[in-house]
Amino acid sequence: MTNSKGYRRGTRYMFSRQFRKHGVEPLSTFLTVYKKGDLVDIKGNGCFQKGMPHKVYHGKTGRVYNITQHALGVIVNKRVRGRIIAKRINVRVEHVKHSNCRRDFLRRVQDNDVARRVAKEKGSIIKAKRQPKEPLGAHHVRTRYNKPQLLEPIPYEFIA
Amino acid sequence: MVFVKVVKNKAYFKRFQVKFKRRREGKTDYYARKRLVFQDKNKYNTPKYRMIVRITNRDIICQIAYARIEGDVVVASAYSHELPHYGVKVGLTNYAAAYCTGLLLARRILKKYNLDSIYEGQTEVDGDSYNVEDVAGEHGTFRCYLDVGLAHTTTGARIFGSMKGMADGGVEIPHRYARFPGYDVDSKSFSAEVHRGHIFGQHVKGYMSQLQENDDEAYKRQFSRFISAGVSPESLEEMYKNAHRAIRENPDRVVKSKPARDETQKVKRWNRKKLTRSQYMDRVKQRKAAFIKKLQESADD
Repeated sequence: MTNSKGYRRGTRYMFSRQFRKHGVEPLSTFLTVYKKGDLVDIKGNGCFQKGMPHKVYHGKTGRVYNITQHALGVIVNKRVRGRIIAKRINVRVEHVKHSNCRRDFLRRVQDNDVARRVAKEKGSIIKAKRQPKEPLGAHHVRTRYNKPQLLEPIPYEFIA
Repeated sequence: MVFVKVVKNKAYFKRFQVKFKRRREGKTDYYARKRLVFQDKNKYNTPKYRMIVRITNRDIICQIAYARIEGDVVVASAYSHELPHYGVKVGLTNYAAAYCTGLLLARRILKKYNLDSIYEGQTEVDGDSYNVEDVAGEHGTFRCYLDVGLAHTTTGARIFGSMKGMADGGVEIPHRYARFPGYDVDSKSFSAEVHRGHIFGQHVKGYMSQLQENDDEAYKRQFSRFISAGVSPESLEEMYKNAHRAIRENPDRVVKSKPARDETQKVKRWNRKKLTRSQYMDRVKQRKAAFIKKLQESADD
């Protein structure tokens, strides 16, 4: 007995509204500005049946490549069997929000630009690259509740 | 006695979802707001201006604002309580005052964006349908959309008076004449004469004259402020004409200069000052001592 192929099959909970978040959609959903190249999270909103993404793209993050009056064109990676296809889908803005994954990067770019400008005026050199955490240098260790334990290997005993 | 199950029990409150705050307060119609405020995504951050008209019992508030996530930004505003500066001292919530307020806002916003010399609007007020047109070669018109809020959009409503004031002031505000006073639904005809009458307060003049003739007591009661301001039925039209002229001459807001705050004077406190820790501990000690003393005294009795 195969699964039925309905477009929204199995989406009873996926597209349902969150607990106590039913009713009117906050206006910020409609006021956010999207630009080409933005990374966006796709999350289907059951209130707005137009321009809904297919259930397969729910929870995926993609890149905006096109903007129309009410919707965005988003490039999303979809795994089809053995390969990944970069699919282009059209989604209305109600089903989309800015991805936080990009936020940290953009913040860092901004900070680096400011640091560079300041350093240029002063003539100093800045290191903009992020460095991985180095091993700890020499330091004192508190032994108040942390007495050192002596560990030794036990002498060898042959056991049959 | 019939036992009734408590409807508003703990489970009810746990599941209750409140409406948006402004909906609970009954101030915002979100259905309308979403449609007014929405900007096409391919227009990105371009502001979509809306002319907000709200009429209270004693004032008419006109604002031009555009929406942002952080909160709407008001670009210009005009209140009918500013009209005394332009010669209109009484009747601040009538149709004529609404028109003046709309006109004032229009001239203000056009002056702010340096469009006031290009777009004069309708200087000869005749109540007829007027829509500003783009002047070729110059900056385009300032366009905004009317936001009536929760007001009833009946024919002859004062909100449309404000809108007419804006339109005549030179702002592009899409509308049709079907809701202006002077529009007859049955014959689908619009009488600019009647509308002009309302803009110049002729309907008020009619009522004033009628009361004066028939019932002097009622006239004095209804129009007491008009009488004390020296406004007669005949002088109304002149008063509003002068107001329109004055508004067009100088729409700037009159700012009352505040006296510099006297730094040496003690600022009045409205609540008790908080105690310091030592003061508080001392107070606790005193209260303990007093209580123990009281116990001992009652034990002695």
